[in-house]
Amino acid sequence: MSKRTILWDGLWHNNTIFVQLLGMCPLLGVTTTALNGFWMGVATMAVLLGSNLVVSLVRGFIPADVRIPAYITIIAAFVTIVDMLMNAWLHEMYRLLGLFIPLIVVNCAIMGRAEAFASKHGPLDACLDAVAVGGGFTFALMLLGGVRELLGQGALFGVPVLGSDYPDVLMFILPPGAFISLGFILAAINVLKRRREARVSTAQAGCSA
Amino acid sequence: MLERDQWRMVAALVTVAVVATALLAVADRMTRAPIAQAQRKALHQALAQVLPPHANDPQRDMVTMTRAGKPMRLYPARADDGRLLALAWEEVAPDGYSGPIRVLMAVDPTGVVQAVRVTEHRETPGLGDGIVRNRAWIDAFAGKTLDNARWAVKKDGGDFDQFTGATITPRAVVKAIHEGLMFFAKHRAQILRKLQTVKGLEDE
Repeated sequence: MSKRTILWDGLWHNNTIFVQLLGMCPLLGVTTTALNGFWMGVATMAVLLGSNLVVSLVRGFIPADVRIPAYITIIAAFVTIVDMLMNAWLHEMYRLLGLFIPLIVVNCAIMGRAEAFASKHGPLDACLDAVAVGGGFTFALMLLGGVRELLGQGALFGVPVLGSDYPDVLMFILPPGAFISLGFILAAINVLKRRREARVSTAQAGCSA
Repeated sequence: MLERDQWRMVAALVTVAVVATALLAVADRMTRAPIAQAQRKALHQALAQVLPPHANDPQRDMVTMTRAGKPMRLYPARADDGRLLALAWEEVAPDGYSGPIRVLMAVDPTGVVQAVRVTEHRETPGLGDGIVRNRAWIDAFAGKTLDNARWAVKKDGGDFDQFTGATITPRAVVKAIHEGLMFFAKHRAQILRKLQTVKGLEDE
């Protein structure tokens, strides 16, 4: 698998949120603002980087029968470390994201990468995969957080952009808004993809003619 | 007796567990002091917002009391001659809409509220979090005493506004501050004596 494929798979073609629809719990919980989404994505990426690297390093050593408990231990250790680091050096954000940082441990996307990728590839590719998947996850959380912040509070990254008298639109602030926004984002992405496919197939038809 | 590959499983799991534990121990050691410092700094900022300008370090001069079997921390604000200007403590409203709400409240020695700030909450963004976003609402507590206000939200016949779509959160905060004031009124002599004695010891 080429480095380029790994990168684009994680970032876009196989995006955890937009394509696989995994990790919906942090998605609903923290994406009330773009900044929350960004930091949640970064925290997840840090865990993913640690777990992918270690799982890849020990992949020849862990017998297949006990690989799941071993991976869970590794992931849980990294989640706890990220939790402590954020508490120490990103204290304000830690208070905001609070409950959701420990919950990274049950984000099935991380277990999925350990099982489907890191356990079958070298450390370098595993790290690249973590950066790509984590980056795609961060992008998705930030996009959704941005849409909800913009429509719900008329602001982006805490800065009012739709005028200071923009009313709070509760539907986008509350959890249902996450589902609805995600639905529209997915629809938009599908339209984009279909258009591109149509263009590619006409181009190919042109070539063969 | 275990088979050979069963031993391998045991060895793998034990190794993973030991290494993970070691990593956690290192991370804990590295972050313990910075976490304490970050919490101290957050409290320092909150105290600076509720207490009037003061000459001492309220966290250093903190005294503890027992309240309903639990320790209660009192943070005094003093003028440069050592006179007690106000004191702050944390109240917990257990009945928020989603989990407990922590508020820091400050009163002067006669029991007049100086200021109130919410330090921790998980209320609904856009509804209940008005207790943080709506400065005018939280500032309305300043100057209130047990006797000069009706301690309830307007819906319940009191003096304090609720928010559109959110009554539970403001109700919980009003109740917590009311309870804090009642506790202070009941134990005022004891609390003031305690803050006095500590100051006396420092003078020696």
